[in-house]
Amino acid sequence: MSGGATPLLSVRGLAKNYGAVQALRGIDLDVHKGELCGVIGPNGSGKSTLFDCCTGLQQPTTGSVHLEGADITGWSMNRVAREGGFVRSFQKTVVFETMTPEENLVAAGQMFSFPSLLSTFSIGPAARRRTATLRARANELIDMVGLDRVRDQPAGSLSFGQQKLLQFAASLMPEPRLILLDEPLAGINPVLITKIVGSIRKANAELGITFLVIEHNIDVIMDLCPRIVVLAEGSILDDGAPETIVRSQKVVEAYLGG
Amino acid sequence: MGELLLEQVVNGIVAGSVYALVAAGMTMIFGVLRAINFAHGEYYMLGTFSAWWVISRLDMPYVASILLAVAITMAIAAVIGRFVMQRLVTAPFQSGVLATLGLSLILQNSVILTFGGTYKVFPGGWLEPVEFLDMSFAQQRIVIVAATIAVFVALEFVVRRTRMGKSIRAVSQNTECCAVNGIDVERVVLGTFVLGTGLAALSGVLTGPINVSIYGGMGEAITLKTFAVIVMGGMGNVRGTLFAGWILGIAESLVAGYVGLQYRDAVGFVILIAMLMFRPQGFFSVQARF
Amino acid sequence: MTLHSPPIQATAAPRPAAAVRPSPWLGLALLIALLAAPYVLGNYYLHAIIVSMIFLLPAHGLNLIVGYTGMLSLAQGAFFGIGAYASALLAMHFGTPFFVNFTFAGLVTGLIALPLGIPALRLRTYSFVMCTLGFVIIAEAVAKNWIGLTRGDMGLSGIPQPLLAIGDLGTKVTTITGYYYLYLFVAVAMTGLFYALIVSPAGRCMVAIRDNETLAESQGISTWSYKLLVFTISAAFAGFGGSLYAHYLTTVSPLTFQMYYSTTILVIVLGGGAGTVRGVVVGSILFVALSEALRVTPEFRMIFYGLVLLVLVFWQPKGLAPLLDRGLALLGLVRR
Repeated sequence: MSGGATPLLSVRGLAKNYGAVQALRGIDLDVHKGELCGVIGPNGSGKSTLFDCCTGLQQPTTGSVHLEGADITGWSMNRVAREGGFVRSFQKTVVFETMTPEENLVAAGQMFSFPSLLSTFSIGPAARRRTATLRARANELIDMVGLDRVRDQPAGSLSFGQQKLLQFAASLMPEPRLILLDEPLAGINPVLITKIVGSIRKANAELGITFLVIEHNIDVIMDLCPRIVVLAEGSILDDGAPETIVRSQKVVEAYLGG
Repeated sequence: MGELLLEQVVNGIVAGSVYALVAAGMTMIFGVLRAINFAHGEYYMLGTFSAWWVISRLDMPYVASILLAVAITMAIAAVIGRFVMQRLVTAPFQSGVLATLGLSLILQNSVILTFGGTYKVFPGGWLEPVEFLDMSFAQQRIVIVAATIAVFVALEFVVRRTRMGKSIRAVSQNTECCAVNGIDVERVVLGTFVLGTGLAALSGVLTGPINVSIYGGMGEAITLKTFAVIVMGGMGNVRGTLFAGWILGIAESLVAGYVGLQYRDAVGFVILIAMLMFRPQGFFSVQARF
Repeated sequence: MTLHSPPIQATAAPRPAAAVRPSPWLGLALLIALLAAPYVLGNYYLHAIIVSMIFLLPAHGLNLIVGYTGMLSLAQGAFFGIGAYASALLAMHFGTPFFVNFTFAGLVTGLIALPLGIPALRLRTYSFVMCTLGFVIIAEAVAKNWIGLTRGDMGLSGIPQPLLAIGDLGTKVTTITGYYYLYLFVAVAMTGLFYALIVSPAGRCMVAIRDNETLAESQGISTWSYKLLVFTISAAFAGFGGSLYAHYLTTVSPLTFQMYYSTTILVIVLGGGAGTVRGVVVGSILFVALSEALRVTPEFRMIFYGLVLLVLVFWQPKGLAPLLDRGLALLGLVRR
């Protein structure tokens, strides 16, 4: 675990209410650069809400989020992504349905490649070069996740598993510092699971991307992540290596079952 | 001075009652269908035209024309509801906008083609003046306000006490649950649509004698003013439209009296834009449905 | 923000993205045909094509909003009229050349649309549509009541015909054929500009916003900024169209703000095929040029448009474009 330095993601006292429902109750969490951290917990424990509050999809009721020391609480989603270098996937798989996988990925990466909003309106040589680079990378990713056979189909006509792969590839596209994956393995077959897990490991090892992964597939996540955070009823129940988590009494009671 | 103000307020209530009646229909349709009926004003126009036709071509007395006009319009609405509105039940909102826009074009221009584009004079109504608080009003104006209040009371009863009313409320709140609970959503939609357009038609017939001149395109302005009323009242909130309608009517009357007659029609649009910008949920309780 | 904002073609299955593209030779052939038209067609038919080119510009603007960014706006008529008045006033007061008036019209309209778009774009779905309708009404009211500027209900007449001038050399466009070639040039140029917009990275952002706003946001796209820019640019396109209108008709009045114009533009875009360039071009020719050429009375035209809208909603949400593509494919005029 790389530590010592300022944590990449630092959450303090994060709380979120939806009216009377308290989704998050004062979360404190530090994630360091290069970590592969799993987030588990029963349904409704606030995992997705945690992601939402960190990335700007929801505004926390109280608390703060810091990215490498900088306060990003209250930043809009697009700013968190673009300026923070911080992307996420969604629990309900979403893709741009009328675009091909290649276009989907180019769209996923282009805001990180173009210096300003106005520059995206240009069709000059510089812009075209940037787009070509993006396209090349997109096709690399398409090959990597095995979507090359459906390269020319609109993403809306892809199967559920294929869309999930596309969504995963999209998160890798901009080579961000931090990726939040929300149940990337839900509902897909074991072969695909192995593929995605392999890609996560590879991205983490070779590109140094920090991952925070929400998953219900306990076996896989315990195997993949050297650090597990357990959420229950909006609070952190436990935080540590998989071996210790599995043996923790309260975690077993709350989530893993006897 | 005070007398003039009072007269304008009363006139405003009369005009406002007309708007409220039309708006009640539009808001109910929105409630069950989640669609804004861009053609709503045309049913008001159809009500007026049907009455005109019945009186001038069939030689019927005004009283009968009220019933017949509403019946004719509701019949037309039933057909439209069956073939168009019902299909909008699960459609995205753009479909509702475009379909009702299309209907509005068809209805308006069909009437113009059939009866000609010139203004017609509405030949009937109770125009005898009546004394009220030192002011004299045409009887028709009293009838309008009385009818509006009666209709709203009746709606209140229907919505709270009858099964149809309960179904309407249920559909307004949650379409998916209704289907599971055995409520025929499509039938409720059709019924509400016919009822709502009937209210617009009634408003049209009652206002005919006061508007005096009628023409095929008269529905368009009404539709736009009705938007202002339903936004003020809260979309889907029937009670709210009564007061919102009066507010609009009084505002128009005051502007016409103190600022200038030519600005009267602009009041509704200014209110609409202002509401959308600053308080799109309306003046009354935020999530009220009926 | 919803996790899924359905595009206007929500009900139809997405069609293969790169399967059918009209051969570029087709565009060239069309261009040549249009260039040769005055030698073949009589003045009345040229007039019909001119009118369709006037409407093509605001249609491109609406296509940007509806077809590419996924918002439904009825305000094009307002900006069309504003552009018409702006161009007319500049020409009448300063005698400026056509391209100055034309550019001015687009810029002024865009600048007016900007502060309108900022609050309007905060509104969702219905409220936004109603608000855009309100813009048309307000524009009409301003035109009727700001008599000092617009001469109210009388409108502006005797608008100078297009003056093509560089320095002291100039010529006025007065014949139908002259108008035809000038407006053809403008239409082709603006269509080219529109196309450049669509294929730029910004165009991709717009499609992303149309397909799924939240996803677009999460990938760094500032949806609000793009929507505002699209709103402004599309208004500018409408303003440019208004300039063509003013100098062709040589009169403008508050009647220019009637729903007729917004409706026609809407039918061109949706009927032709929102989200495609060729669809809108074909839509403009079919719905406008044809109705003009056949001298269809306004009432029948509106009934026809109403029916088109109904057909669009329930059976053919993508408009003519897919039919066009299939026809082209049958004729072998496509590039794979």
